[in-house]
Amino acid sequence: MNSRSRYVWAYVMIAPTLLGTVLFWSWPAVYSIYLSFLKSENFGLVNHWVGFANYEKLFKDHEFWRNLRNTLYYTVLFVPLTLVLSTFFAVLLNAKIRGLSAYRVIFFLPQVTMPAAAAMVWVVLFARDYGLINYVLGTHVAWISDAKFAMYALVIVGVWGAIGFNMLLILAGLQGIPRALYEAAEIDGAVRFRKFRYITLPLLTPTLFFTSVVLMIGATQIFDSIYLLIGKTNVALPAVRSLVYAYYQNAFVYYDQNYGAAIVDVLLVINLVLTGLQFAFQKKWVNYD
Amino acid sequence: MANRSQTVRRNSNWILHLVLIAASVVMIVPFVWMILTSFKTVTEATQIPVVIFPSHWNFSSYAKAFEKSDFTHYYLNTIFAAFMKTLFPVLFSSMAAYAFARIRFPGRTLLFFLIISVMMVPNPVFYTPQYLLMSKWGLVNSVTALWICSLVSPFATFMLRQFFIGISKELEEAAILDGCNPFQTFRYIMLPLVKSALVAIVIIQLLWSWNELQWPLIINSSPDKLTLSSGLATLVSMFSTNYPILMAGAFMAVIPMIVLFFLFQRRFIEGVAFSAHKG
Repeated sequence: MNSRSRYVWAYVMIAPTLLGTVLFWSWPAVYSIYLSFLKSENFGLVNHWVGFANYEKLFKDHEFWRNLRNTLYYTVLFVPLTLVLSTFFAVLLNAKIRGLSAYRVIFFLPQVTMPAAAAMVWVVLFARDYGLINYVLGTHVAWISDAKFAMYALVIVGVWGAIGFNMLLILAGLQGIPRALYEAAEIDGAVRFRKFRYITLPLLTPTLFFTSVVLMIGATQIFDSIYLLIGKTNVALPAVRSLVYAYYQNAFVYYDQNYGAAIVDVLLVINLVLTGLQFAFQKKWVNYD
Repeated sequence: MANRSQTVRRNSNWILHLVLIAASVVMIVPFVWMILTSFKTVTEATQIPVVIFPSHWNFSSYAKAFEKSDFTHYYLNTIFAAFMKTLFPVLFSSMAAYAFARIRFPGRTLLFFLIISVMMVPNPVFYTPQYLLMSKWGLVNSVTALWICSLVSPFATFMLRQFFIGISKELEEAAILDGCNPFQTFRYIMLPLVKSALVAIVIIQLLWSWNELQWPLIINSSPDKLTLSSGLATLVSMFSTNYPILMAGAFMAVIPMIVLFFLFQRRFIEGVAFSAHKG
């Protein structure tokens, strides 16, 4: 078969994905940026070019800065906590112990659970007067409606949902470390903690780095648990409202698509920086192998 | 000496299990509480001090959830959308991935980059323009809108391409010598070799679309066009503190995926872990 007819086959085979991607994903991404420079009236029938006006309004808006700070604060709490706990349990499960697969299944269960449904159960568990958590801890905290605690409630739900999956990734990384290294350390009389500090941790760094970037990208897009755990009528909402939640409110509750687009484009920039970081470090580490 | 180190190991094993069991309890409590609460009466669910077990196992909250909201439609819409969002991306992506991995054609690198570049963009960025597109096509508030934007998957294309690249060329060359065209080579020789990757993609797509909240919430509002996820959100606004009904709804929404997970544990865990290696 000559190469020209192979080209034709190739174009035919990529056509559905290419056309679908351009129509449903690439064009919308570009259009979202364009929208942030417009002001729409009459439900989008009339559009005016307004330059940076939406961004000027955004950067003067205290609520926007607060939402950005909430998003970053959530990320800063959620990512290290998930990483430390996932690593801790991965190290425990890396030993040859009985019931390994049972533990894996149990830890993984939140991963297959619909976030909306999970958030609803946590509402019940966090209830101030008759919630299980206050009952067990002997406290009387309004976890969800007190602005001081709502963020921690979100982080707890997030970490609960994320440990199992990230633990598995880290466990895979641990199993890639050659046994011989540990045996050599044992001959030298190294104790468990020193083995972890000087063998496991350095060799696990690439895995931990990628896991944390993936976690950060996910954390900056938090929406589901705010929508269902905190809820739109909650007085604590301003203390936890994320960029994506603010985007949803502006674009689909107040019908200001242009302002919404400006918010979400800030998120885009944050995510591009994170992805850039990932690529930059990936190159570096691949060379080390 | 040998005895002592054995004792130490046994002791530390015991502590290990204690820590793991405690953590497992924390992981499982939300599920147990969901089930227990769904069988309680409203009074039992909000009683002080907390009661753990319902006095009677009554199913009335499940019946009420079905009665007061459109769970039949939520199920049908979710299943149908998940089916479309799994079948088509797997079909289209595997073809495209094979072509990108194995056929040299003009513009290959550029077109591949065009497709995977959208993976860097967070999902909410797409929603307003996709909404405007749906509105232009008259699809706002329709079942079609739930799946049509996800007919293709840049992510699946990227993952499967990696797999096709990893397969040796010999079989393929033999097929080409035998006169197979690229599509036949793909269909009969190459596709069966990436079966495990296809299963992983099926599981990931299924889970994503089953659990997705924001897009169904944005695009549809009539009760018979909601999915389980967005349906639960309306259940919350209808029965704000009727915990038994809310928990019955939540349980009905999560149980299909949990049953599938228990049936295909290994496949699920491998499949989802596989999604993280996109870097």
